[in-house]
Amino acid sequence: MSLSRRILLALAAPVVALVVALAMSSVVLVLSGSNPLEAFADMIGHASRLETMVDILNRATPIYIAGVAVAIGFRMNLFNIGVEGQYLLAALVAAHVGALVDLPGPLRIVFILVVAMAVGAAYSGFAGVLKVTRGISEVISTIMLNAIAITGLIAFLIREWQAGGAIQGGVGRVGTTPIPDSGLIPNMNPVLEFFTREIRQGKQLTGVLVVAILVGIVYHLLVNRTRFGFDLRASGINPFAAQVGGVPAKRMVVSAMVLSGAVAGLVGMTEINQVGFFPANPIKGLGFTGIAAALLGRNHPAGIILAALIFSFLDISSGVLQFTGAASREIVVIMQGVIILAAVVAYEVASRARERQEAKSAAEALGDVKPSEEAA
Amino acid sequence: MATAIELSGITKRFPGVVANDQVNLTVEEGEIHAICGENGAGKSTLMKILYGMQQADSGTMKVHGREVRFVSPTEAIAAGIGMVHQHFMLADQLTVLENVILGAEPTKALGRIDFEAAREHLREVGQAYGLTIDPNDLIEELEVGERQRVEIIKVLYRGAKILILDEPTAVLVPQEVEELFRNMRGLKEDGATILFIDHKLDEVLAIADTITVLRDGKTVATVKPNEVTAHDLAELMVGSELPTPETTESTVTDQVALDVESVTVLDEDERVLVDDVTFRIRRGEVVGIAGVEGNGQAELVDAILGTRPVHRGSIKLMGEDVTLLPVRARRERGIGYIPQDRHREGLLLTAPLWENAALGHQTQEPFVNGIFIDRAGSKERTEHIRKEFDVRTPNVDVHAHALSGGNQQKLIVGREMTADPIVLLAAHPTRGIDVGAQAEVWDDIKLARSKGMATLLISADLDELIGLSDTIVVMLRGGLVATLDPAKLSPRELGAYMTGAKEGAA
Amino acid sequence: MRQHLRVLSLLAAAMLVLVACAGGDAVTTTAPTTDTTAAPTDTTETTEATTETTAGATTTSGAVAACDSSVGLVFDIGGRGDQSFNDSAAAGLERAADEMGITFTEASPNDDGSNRAELLQLAADASDIVLAIGFLFEGDAAAVGAENPEVSFAVVDSPMLDFTDNPEGVPYGDNIAGLVFSEEQGSFLVGAAAALKSTTGTIGFIGGVSGVGGLIEKFEAGYQAGAMAVNPDIEILSEYITAAPDFDGFNAPDRAREIALAMYDGGADIVYHAAGGSGAGLFEAASVASDTSGSKVWAIGVDSDQYNTADPAVQEFILTSMLKRVDVAVFEAIRAQCEGTFTAGPTAYDLSVDGVGYSTSGGFVDDITDQLEDFKAQIVSGDIVVPTEPS
Repeated sequence: MSLSRRILLALAAPVVALVVALAMSSVVLVLSGSNPLEAFADMIGHASRLETMVDILNRATPIYIAGVAVAIGFRMNLFNIGVEGQYLLAALVAAHVGALVDLPGPLRIVFILVVAMAVGAAYSGFAGVLKVTRGISEVISTIMLNAIAITGLIAFLIREWQAGGAIQGGVGRVGTTPIPDSGLIPNMNPVLEFFTREIRQGKQLTGVLVVAILVGIVYHLLVNRTRFGFDLRASGINPFAAQVGGVPAKRMVVSAMVLSGAVAGLVGMTEINQVGFFPANPIKGLGFTGIAAALLGRNHPAGIILAALIFSFLDISSGVLQFTGAASREIVVIMQGVIILAAVVAYEVASRARERQEAKSAAEALGDVKPSEEAA
Repeated sequence: MATAIELSGITKRFPGVVANDQVNLTVEEGEIHAICGENGAGKSTLMKILYGMQQADSGTMKVHGREVRFVSPTEAIAAGIGMVHQHFMLADQLTVLENVILGAEPTKALGRIDFEAAREHLREVGQAYGLTIDPNDLIEELEVGERQRVEIIKVLYRGAKILILDEPTAVLVPQEVEELFRNMRGLKEDGATILFIDHKLDEVLAIADTITVLRDGKTVATVKPNEVTAHDLAELMVGSELPTPETTESTVTDQVALDVESVTVLDEDERVLVDDVTFRIRRGEVVGIAGVEGNGQAELVDAILGTRPVHRGSIKLMGEDVTLLPVRARRERGIGYIPQDRHREGLLLTAPLWENAALGHQTQEPFVNGIFIDRAGSKERTEHIRKEFDVRTPNVDVHAHALSGGNQQKLIVGREMTADPIVLLAAHPTRGIDVGAQAEVWDDIKLARSKGMATLLISADLDELIGLSDTIVVMLRGGLVATLDPAKLSPRELGAYMTGAKEGAA
Repeated sequence: MRQHLRVLSLLAAAMLVLVACAGGDAVTTTAPTTDTTAAPTDTTETTEATTETTAGATTTSGAVAACDSSVGLVFDIGGRGDQSFNDSAAAGLERAADEMGITFTEASPNDDGSNRAELLQLAADASDIVLAIGFLFEGDAAAVGAENPEVSFAVVDSPMLDFTDNPEGVPYGDNIAGLVFSEEQGSFLVGAAAALKSTTGTIGFIGGVSGVGGLIEKFEAGYQAGAMAVNPDIEILSEYITAAPDFDGFNAPDRAREIALAMYDGGADIVYHAAGGSGAGLFEAASVASDTSGSKVWAIGVDSDQYNTADPAVQEFILTSMLKRVDVAVFEAIRAQCEGTFTAGPTAYDLSVDGVGYSTSGGFVDDITDQLEDFKAQIVSGDIVVPTEPS
């Protein structure tokens, strides 16, 4: 396949997705009595402010980490729906333990991250063990473990651990014991300000962004460059072929779930580092947004970045559209759905085009005169 | 006799390839019509066009004298055409009846499936065509030949009068082939028209009323079986003599590479699958296992490879007991494996060729560098395989599904051979590939054998088994029932051993 | 489960003190019921003084001056149309627009509440006063308020006091106020109504979420006290749908229905809920239980007059509703801003200013109105001190 055609195919999907998404969003906006051009202008104008960009990055960070956690499972056809419970439980335990231990700042930061990963890994690994020893689908077990974590363990533990004497304010600011400031990952405002200008409105670019970037790099290297990653992907594409190829199936299931859970454990770090403790009303649902981000990003480390930014951008846009009266929140939610749908469809169409193209070029390689019957 | 199908001037182009070039084909009602040709001759494309899976660029199709143009199989089915694919499309966990009615369920009030009506209709169809099968059997419990019968019943159930069978004998043992042919003759007597693709010439001559030979996308001849010999047909197909699998001289050494001692394998329900099997393969030796499919050969291979636990007995590789080692450790010690189903066990279809070439060897040079996959080394090795084993592909980055079956098989053979295995487990290594590729695979095995490779060969192609093996053992109901010298053996004789009609010393 | 919530109780108690202080008359009678020994500080006394003015104005709300302030209102999750909390806030906002001519913009957060801070900032960008509906805004409102000192912030259901350095709490900033309600007082009255109306001597309470800083426990405490003031031997069944941080209990009508059916089955003939959207399940259960048992059982609504908002089919089972006048609080906060009387820290809305109360729609409590009004007078006068923790 020629280079130009390759580039065209690579670009086709996102461009088609964007055009379709814009067109369908416009229809939705017009139907709801708004002017789409004004709405888009509001969204872009708002997002182009430095402070909004900080918000978008802060929101995208945990979505990205959650997306990678889900993608690790997807890479071997494991559906870790339990990222939700894993990150909440991990964040709670890490925040609590992290506040209690007496460690110098940087060590405490590392300690909290490690505890969070360990808790997430253990909780997710449990579902993996259930799968290989008892044959219980991870879909079922992680859903159940979510329920146990959120309505059981966390509810119980947070009440136990509040007794440590954490009142950060009134009812709205109840949580675990605050972690000393030195134990929190410093914000990245100085870095961003170095390249731009002073960040106003007290916005702070989360330092967990660095963790997310590291997670992305490690994910890419691990899955695409290592033997372990090869085994993981092979198991995902064809478990039978992987097995006769020497991949230990059961161990891979547990390893993948453990890894997925370890990454999931980091999802809640953004909030912990922002508020300084685990709040009684943490931000929930990131595990599920992560599933959507992994799907939209095609499990690709860069694709998930894009997906996380899109989700974040749309979430953040919801506010400005409401205040300018351009669109209600429900309309924004519909637009989010439309964009995801458009992207998924466009990618599907593009990947089929790529498959056809490959089959044809393989057929061509058979020679000019020799026809191929399996070409199609 | 009326004309069932008339294709004229059918042309189908793919970029750079003319799959069908002005093909003409006339099939009379109530005849068995064979389509012969090498892989790549355009047989499957032609059948797909007839079945509505693809559309011709030009040409006309007539079914029962009426001009048609199918854009989907649904329309072909409506016109009374049914197709049985080479790879069965059955749901293992469902019963025969459920599979047959799948997608064509008769319903009662409220959309409930009317199983009674379905059962009745199935019985009628079975009776009309003389095909018997228990509608309550689970597909996963059926033999390959029986599954094929289910596929045939499935299309008959939908009212097909014209059947297209895509390489129906490729997956069958001789006895099953005879059963199939009996059924085909029965169908013909009951008024069905059968089109079937095959490239086993003796089979074609035995069953077909008319033979159409395709080569390079063109119809080269339409002949009657009594007018030609197998030799003539072969020349029509490839323009040259058929290669033979015969090996020339023995390269067997004294060194035992694989020592299988009293191996017993049980399934989950403790039923005996492999029963106290003992044999040895020395370096430079090919041991062929003959047997009707489902008599424990696959399970024996699984046990040697390590994907199935050994209940009793031991397996030694170059003197080392590997009975309890995992698959990876065994493969690292030199066990190569050509699986019988390349799509199921041999390939990562949606991964690039170079990753496929690493599969099974991903812990070894040159595919690996520490904990990392050596991409450059892997690609280089894959390029080597591509050249040495004549894998036709534009580059090693295309996904495996883009290759034709023969090229996929050559990739697998190349992958296993270049790793210089001590023991090669080859299960049906030439199944479903054309004569040219078949000869290449045979040559590869012969060459490796001469360099000291020990080979365990399983094949349903008895000529291949007799031709390549130094020793043949026969498996029946899990046990070894005979050890035979291929030099003094005819396929018919071997077939008798395989079905237990003839007994020998194990 | 609730007993060992020392800290939350403490927190609740602290809130109560402040609320009580702000409520003026209640100070003397409320303080002894709590185990906090904190005396009102200078700050809170200041608050008290101003608040009293505000509260006083409520009762005499008649002519109000026109005002050109711009108001930004951020709803709790769910936004308009919840037939409860948010709609009540919207009513107050619209009344302010009608009567004072203020302009307003509004928004509601994402389902996970992740963008509360952004919405507050956006509101602050274009408004003179920002109203946040719900205590979950506390942390974000404190932070955004600090960044926007020229804009006033008022948060419903939170005292907006910082306890970090001062156990009595100090306002987060001069521009940040909290609008709190004495739900226990309103609950006392509906508890009394339940006891007066009960024929079985058993009544029930369904809380949405336990352990949210004692917020819902306050309802239970008042309800208990009111019922026992009428009949000391009354049996009160009590259950919470979920525990924090699982907030599903505020929107789980199916689970509320099951709990309510069990309570009716266990002999209760009147059940009161403080469970937000889950209440619909209670009303349905009342209808079902009445049908199956043949004798009428009652439900009591919360926050708004649910007789008016519930499905007409279940209207006849809603005895009364405990009113929490978020609309009044929102309106008064805007008026304070317009009139320059905006005060930092908590402002209380209790029975004395009709910030809480009970509804009479349907006329089911007409026969006991005298008794209820008598209780109300005693609470306002301080003769009855309503506890904020369930016994």
